[in-house]
Amino acid sequence: MSPFLYAVTVTCLAALLLSGAMVLYRMIIGPKAADRAVAFDTLTMIFIGIICVLSIQWQSALYFDAVWILTLVGFLGSASIARYLEQGRLF
Amino acid sequence: MPSLAEILVAGCLLLGTFLIVVTGLGLLRFPDVFCRMHAAGKAGTLGVVTIILGTVIAFAGTEHDVSVRGLLAIVFQFLTSPAATHLLARASYLCDYPLSDRTAVDELKVFLPSRPDQVVYHE
Repeated sequence: MSPFLYAVTVTCLAALLLSGAMVLYRMIIGPKAADRAVAFDTLTMIFIGIICVLSIQWQSALYFDAVWILTLVGFLGSASIARYLEQGRLF
Repeated sequence: MPSLAEILVAGCLLLGTFLIVVTGLGLLRFPDVFCRMHAAGKAGTLGVVTIILGTVIAFAGTEHDVSVRGLLAIVFQFLTSPAATHLLARASYLCDYPLSDRTAVDELKVFLPSRPDQVVYHE
């Protein structure tokens, strides 16, 4: 891979980690449960971005299955937290 | 000199990363939970989709072709992320989560008379 694309991936990784730190801070101080659920949702997106950028940097599509599985599992997590908040039970 | 495909991939990655950083900043700075959902539901989704698109372009034509899985991930993200945000917003409104004191319009209040009045949000 070219040095140009390598520099771009390193920059993207640093910025994604910075964003992840901000989201983690919100997850820790978030006043109530819904704030933490939103932060968890955003953290899933950041994980997906990190996996994509790393697979470009490593020139390997080995971990790309985790991307579309994480989209589905993240939705299930948020939906079940919302249902628990609204009705007080899951099923 | 980078080729055209590399410039395209770099543009997609940088745009998506910028949108995700904006999401993190919004999650950190916005005053109440509904504003934070606004940041996470729109900018975050578009950022992730742009990064996945950049990965699909980067692997197109090589032996690790991920176009089918990448398009599947983009479709799932566009289907599920707004739905999850909507469910969470509805649940937190029904659970009497306080709005920010700078909220101008609350049109749902008419249909929920049991909801308490405007409360000043405690940081």
